[in-house]
Amino acid sequence: MKVLRNLMDKMAPVFEEGGKLEKLYPLWEAVDVGVYNTNKKTKQAPHIRDSVDIKRVMILVVFALLPLYIFGAINIGVQGSIAQNMTRSWNENLWIGLQQILPIFVVTFLTGGFWEVLFASIRKHDVNEGFFVTGFLIPLIVPATIPLWQVAVATTFGVVIGKEIFGGTGYNIFNPALTARAFIFFAYPGAISGDKVWVSGVDGYSGATGLSIPAAIEGGNAKQLLDSFTQFDFSWWNMFIGWIPGSIGETSKILILLGAGFLILTKVASWRIMVGGVIGLFSTAWLTNGLAKYSTNTMLSLPAEYHLVMGGFLFGIVFMATDPVSASQTNKGRWIYGILIGVMTIIIRSINPAYPEGTMLAILFMNAFSPLIDYFIIKGNINKRMARYAK
Amino acid sequence: MSRLKIKKGYNIRIAGLPADEIKVGQVPSRISIQPNAFKSTKPKLLVKEGDSVQIGSPLFFDKNNPKVNWASPGGGVIKSIQFGPRRVIENIIIELDRDEKYIVGQSFQADSISTLGKEIVLDKILDASLFPMIRQRPFNKIPNPIQSPDAIFISGLNTAPLSVDLNIALSTRLESFQAGIDALSQLTTGKLHLTLPVESVLSEIKNCVINTISGPHPAGNVGIQIHHTSPLKPGKIIWTINAQHVATIGDLFLTGSFNPQMVATIAGPMVNDPTHIASRIGCSIQSLLHKQLKNGFSRIISGDVLTGTESSIDGFMGFYDSSITVIAETDEREFLGWLKPGSSKTRYTLTNAYFKNGNRNFSFSSGLNGGIRALVPIDAWENVLPMDIMPIALFRSIIAKDLEEMEQLGIIECDPEDFALCSFACPSKIELSEVIQDGLDLIEADG
Repeated sequence: MKVLRNLMDKMAPVFEEGGKLEKLYPLWEAVDVGVYNTNKKTKQAPHIRDSVDIKRVMILVVFALLPLYIFGAINIGVQGSIAQNMTRSWNENLWIGLQQILPIFVVTFLTGGFWEVLFASIRKHDVNEGFFVTGFLIPLIVPATIPLWQVAVATTFGVVIGKEIFGGTGYNIFNPALTARAFIFFAYPGAISGDKVWVSGVDGYSGATGLSIPAAIEGGNAKQLLDSFTQFDFSWWNMFIGWIPGSIGETSKILILLGAGFLILTKVASWRIMVGGVIGLFSTAWLTNGLAKYSTNTMLSLPAEYHLVMGGFLFGIVFMATDPVSASQTNKGRWIYGILIGVMTIIIRSINPAYPEGTMLAILFMNAFSPLIDYFIIKGNINKRMARYAK
Repeated sequence: MSRLKIKKGYNIRIAGLPADEIKVGQVPSRISIQPNAFKSTKPKLLVKEGDSVQIGSPLFFDKNNPKVNWASPGGGVIKSIQFGPRRVIENIIIELDRDEKYIVGQSFQADSISTLGKEIVLDKILDASLFPMIRQRPFNKIPNPIQSPDAIFISGLNTAPLSVDLNIALSTRLESFQAGIDALSQLTTGKLHLTLPVESVLSEIKNCVINTISGPHPAGNVGIQIHHTSPLKPGKIIWTINAQHVATIGDLFLTGSFNPQMVATIAGPMVNDPTHIASRIGCSIQSLLHKQLKNGFSRIISGDVLTGTESSIDGFMGFYDSSITVIAETDEREFLGWLKPGSSKTRYTLTNAYFKNGNRNFSFSSGLNGGIRALVPIDAWENVLPMDIMPIALFRSIIAKDLEEMEQLGIIECDPEDFALCSFACPSKIELSEVIQDGLDLIEADG
């Protein structure tokens, strides 16, 4: 690898101050430290630093997401084969899925990378690793059938409006990947609506999502409706394993839970947010189950464990809500933030007739409120201290 | 007395642990004192180049506090006085005589020291020019001797990486240490707290409140001990003094003169035989590290890796320091290093927390190990800060120079050394301990 290092050292002056391409320095810097670790040194105490940096933090999230990519690809093929009544091998399914995912992935990274480098060049800071995770998240939360131009527009919206106008990674209020998804959701409801799923490989083939089945019928029993649905297998175990149509990465709940375990072990994501979210979801679902007999709203009768494995809740609470920047930043606040996401998800799913799925909106809503939660937690710390000072 | 258990924190597993024996190194030919290193003082010289001095002769005083003098830690001739920009006095170097002379003052019987009374004790310490050994919290500076402290805190354990084991350093100086406690305990109207590890040679010391503490670094930091025992608040002043300096004060009362001897460590990945070593205040690093440096480009630090100051082989150990740590200065760039969840050299925050790798120690170098980024709050700071302080909120208030909020968030209870582990563990490579110092400076300037 010495040859590459020497070559790069020779190229460096072109991008440094006074060089021909000095405007592209952030791009060069990103490539340079991407290929070789930085050789920056400490200038003051502490003289030694841990080997963790933002790159390592981000790559760990990507590690947690990779199984979802593979499962997502196979599942695209599987759903297509079920729709066409044919059998295919795993390899064929994977290959068909990859043909769908890779273009989305490439478009996301090209668009997002372009904006990252542009903002870094204008604002003269290093290219931030934050987009790395955003770029891996966006393809997982869109359906395989999404038009590529919509991916490009949504990524642009997510990166520019969701993050860069606030100052970049570390300063954003909303989760950029979720902002991108919300943009498609509201701007192009024909492609991603929450009440319909499309199966790739078969033109115009679509069906109801699990959540929209009980939402559409009044006065029924949600669990019975799901069990009797024939187009897709909406049994609890199948939804837990993930062989159902949906957005690319959110269907396999078991792999999401594995990813959650990995993120908690490596201390990248807050377990408080995840556990809080599940607590909020279960308790509110139990409450609506109790109220179900007073209403004709079928959704109210959907059992809590079904809420857990349906729609994007688990993916959202594990990978989206735990974005450390847009989430609450105090430990007590994280509990409140997580619990309220669970509560809001059920409220939107069950009580709001407009949207059968509520996780995305719940997380974005709580993103907006997390600074307020933190404000009160910090105020509490201050009040405690002031009371002691006054003694 | 209280028993404290610290859970948050981390003992950095750095290679080059000092051996448990006290070696005798090369006899130093020079020693030094660095007037510029004392915060919030205005040093004014009392000597000039070529003067002869004895151990204990005053070398300079503080213009803000003329009673506070600094004693010469050696006997000989002032070799040179080095000035920095704007004529700050950086270094007073003393060439030592073969047999150094001591200034000898009045001595006391061991059992009479505890009844001398505050005035005699304070005057004795000021006259002997050893008052700068005492520092105050908040601000970690030399206190005004007129003010009476609400309490005195002494930490009887060092938890910083590669620091002196006080059980080794003080086991032969117990009488001096007791005499020092007897004297110092009279300086406060409140209590003198001595915080010890569970097993300590100092557990029989009298005339003080003994607290025990256990847990990882920074449990040995006096700031953490104060925070959990008798927390600071506006107007409250606490004096602190290093444990080895307590024995020095004790010797002053028992013998009437200044004994600059102490135990230091020479340690770190770039030292051949890391060990405890017999040393003295202001000792030349050359004599301590004689034939001890490994080949290669290295950084010599006076103090520990978390809070020390960069020095050189021609430099001297700082006044409050008791270790010389040597780490590698590296220019090495690892290929695709970020793909590895940890590195073979250094890892703590992510993988190491769970995959312990046996008890391996790592050869930390001066590498920053990453680029400087905006804060990404994944609790890296909170996990190593055993204080009821919200570091992120405090950090933001300091950046915004919001004095009122800083005070409300408890800045005066903080000291940079307690936040050094936060800087160490920060994935965004934010210099939190420097920011805390900036905040304290702002508050101190504001009054």
